[in-house]
Amino acid sequence: MSALPCAVIGTGQTKYKRRRELTLDGLVREAALRALDDAGLEFTDIDAVVIGKAPDALEGVMMPELSLCDALGAVGKPIHRVHTAGSVGASTAITATTLVESGMYDTVLTVGYEKQSEGNATWALSGGKSGGQGAGGTFAPWIREYIARSKAPEHIGWLVAVKDRQNALLNPYAHLHIEDISIEKVRESPMLWDPLHFLESCPSSDGAAAMVLTNEAGVKRTGKTPAWVLAHAKRTEFSMFPGRDTTRPQAGVECAEALYKKAGITNPREQIDCAELYVPFSWYEPMWLEGHLLAEEGEGWKLTDAGDTALDGSFPVNMSGGVLSSNPIGASGMIRCLEAADQVRGACGEHQVEGAKLALGHAYGGAAQYFAMWIASAELNPEL
Amino acid sequence: MGDLPVIDYTLSFPYTRTTGPVMGPFLTALRDGQILGGRCGDRVLCPPLEYDPDTGAEVAPDLVPVGPGGTVTGSTWVSTPTEKHPFAEPFAFATIALDGADTPLIHAVKAPGPVEAGTRVMAQFRDERVGAITDVYFVPEADAVEQTIAPGDEPVEITEHLIGVRIQEDLYPFRKRYAQALLDGKILGQRSPKSGKVYVPSRGYDNMERVPMTEADDVFLPDIGTVVSFTEITPIQYHGQTETDPYIRCAILLDGADQPVTGIDIRDLRPPEFKVGLRLRCVWRPPAERDVSELDNRMGAIPEGVYERWEPTGEPDVNPDELRGQAW
Repeated sequence: MSALPCAVIGTGQTKYKRRRELTLDGLVREAALRALDDAGLEFTDIDAVVIGKAPDALEGVMMPELSLCDALGAVGKPIHRVHTAGSVGASTAITATTLVESGMYDTVLTVGYEKQSEGNATWALSGGKSGGQGAGGTFAPWIREYIARSKAPEHIGWLVAVKDRQNALLNPYAHLHIEDISIEKVRESPMLWDPLHFLESCPSSDGAAAMVLTNEAGVKRTGKTPAWVLAHAKRTEFSMFPGRDTTRPQAGVECAEALYKKAGITNPREQIDCAELYVPFSWYEPMWLEGHLLAEEGEGWKLTDAGDTALDGSFPVNMSGGVLSSNPIGASGMIRCLEAADQVRGACGEHQVEGAKLALGHAYGGAAQYFAMWIASAELNPEL
Repeated sequence: MGDLPVIDYTLSFPYTRTTGPVMGPFLTALRDGQILGGRCGDRVLCPPLEYDPDTGAEVAPDLVPVGPGGTVTGSTWVSTPTEKHPFAEPFAFATIALDGADTPLIHAVKAPGPVEAGTRVMAQFRDERVGAITDVYFVPEADAVEQTIAPGDEPVEITEHLIGVRIQEDLYPFRKRYAQALLDGKILGQRSPKSGKVYVPSRGYDNMERVPMTEADDVFLPDIGTVVSFTEITPIQYHGQTETDPYIRCAILLDGADQPVTGIDIRDLRPPEFKVGLRLRCVWRPPAERDVSELDNRMGAIPEGVYERWEPTGEPDVNPDELRGQAW
């Protein structure tokens, strides 16, 4: 039995700055209500709720899916919680999609969130111990390996950092709005995890992102512009094993292969119009371009260098400003999927890619070991 | 020589909470000696909620005093309190229907023995109040004393909570042998009986071939290896962080191993002298000073408590191209 079509018909985001005035419940609800409003629906129209967030230690709230039921109108309904570290937002969106594709539910609300201001991610990701490496210290050695292998010049990371922050200026929800962002500013910001400067790293953000997913009947009934979930894929590998290629994880390659195959895509760079890739540290743009088969090995940085990944380039990446501009961790992957959906719905305002019909949303998590990707399409049966 | 530890550590962090438009006034009132309920339709909920639990609708904050008296509707007796409990001596947890509220509050009752449903209880406020649910407790009505509470100043908008978990577990068998070897100044790995790959430290099984490994698969490795990847870290300050100066964390592929040991701490070497391909040897602490208490069942490292430093062997560097795919 094949999957039934599933589409995004409503999206909602919060402003991703610190939200000290809102409870965690209020934050999650704000995104959910905006998504429902966008879909022209109410809580009573929702059959099931799927939420995702990063490790509980980030806010110290255990089993938040229970305490958030009231705020999400989920009392008396099925509620599921997904957890795959940093990739969780995308995994959550995909899990919600499968609930519609299976025919189990007609209309599903999915929400990803993090309120980083209530805890400390570096503390949590360092196991609560002094001298921890955190995420930056974990990824930096692999980035150095990528640079050594690809012979990429050092300014590539700075270019990504500037490009994504410039895109963020066009996105009112983005956390960072650095009006005077420049190569000099990035290069002269403190070196945190060599070769990563402060401005080549993601911020700590609060925020929630939500989507309403429905089947073909739901799309017809609401009359809303859909983003069809043409394909999705998830893959996982161990964090450590002999011969593991940390700069180009095999699970990431296989996830992309499975995704493109499912979507009928044979030349992803040409056939996909734009991508929201999970880039928490600047160098991950070229690394994922290569690691997800959007560029040949050793060629990803050349696309960045040539301006191909800019908003007006041949293959725009992170039009919203990306994770480098907003990182409410548990929401970050969902924002990538949501932005891909909004691109093909033509709903991205100033950071809209003109005529985008097929967009990629992507997230990775853990020690670059969990991958979740989806393709959003303006058409249910696009001609590729 | 140090003893083998039982893993025992506490992970805790001072989390903050935004209290919001309903819980904020509720907590402020507790600090000031009053319990509030919230009107929701034709009911009064205590504690009050931001959203209607039946419909999910937003509840416009409409807070009304409830209690201080109430009736126990159910209870359980805590005969051996832990340090996290509100009382050191045995007490009851009870559902209490406060006068004027339609939903019961779960709270602690300080009583000489188990509390029957139907017992009348009265709120008592602690001398030290911070705007928390623990500012109040209950006693049987006859034991209540008259209290005069001076209200505080600012409304309770952000609260802080030191939330933690204490983790106690035994090292599992391979890890025990690995820890003992470290105390002896040796590095123990395991060779997979199926693939022949050498894991260090091992998990006690080969996760790729999915076969268990036993003591028969143990192999000692030289304390010499090659740097396969590293980064220089400028420490970010966070709760419990004591580092202030930059330091290097690296992964070293020990001679004869098939995966690197990670997170090795380097304090006295810097780039460009420190680089991928550099040959290093472990300089152990004196036996009496070796400490493996940082070791747990998951980390892939050699704990800092057993070595003083890693020093260059003076051998020629390994060509980094030969180390491709080993970075961690």
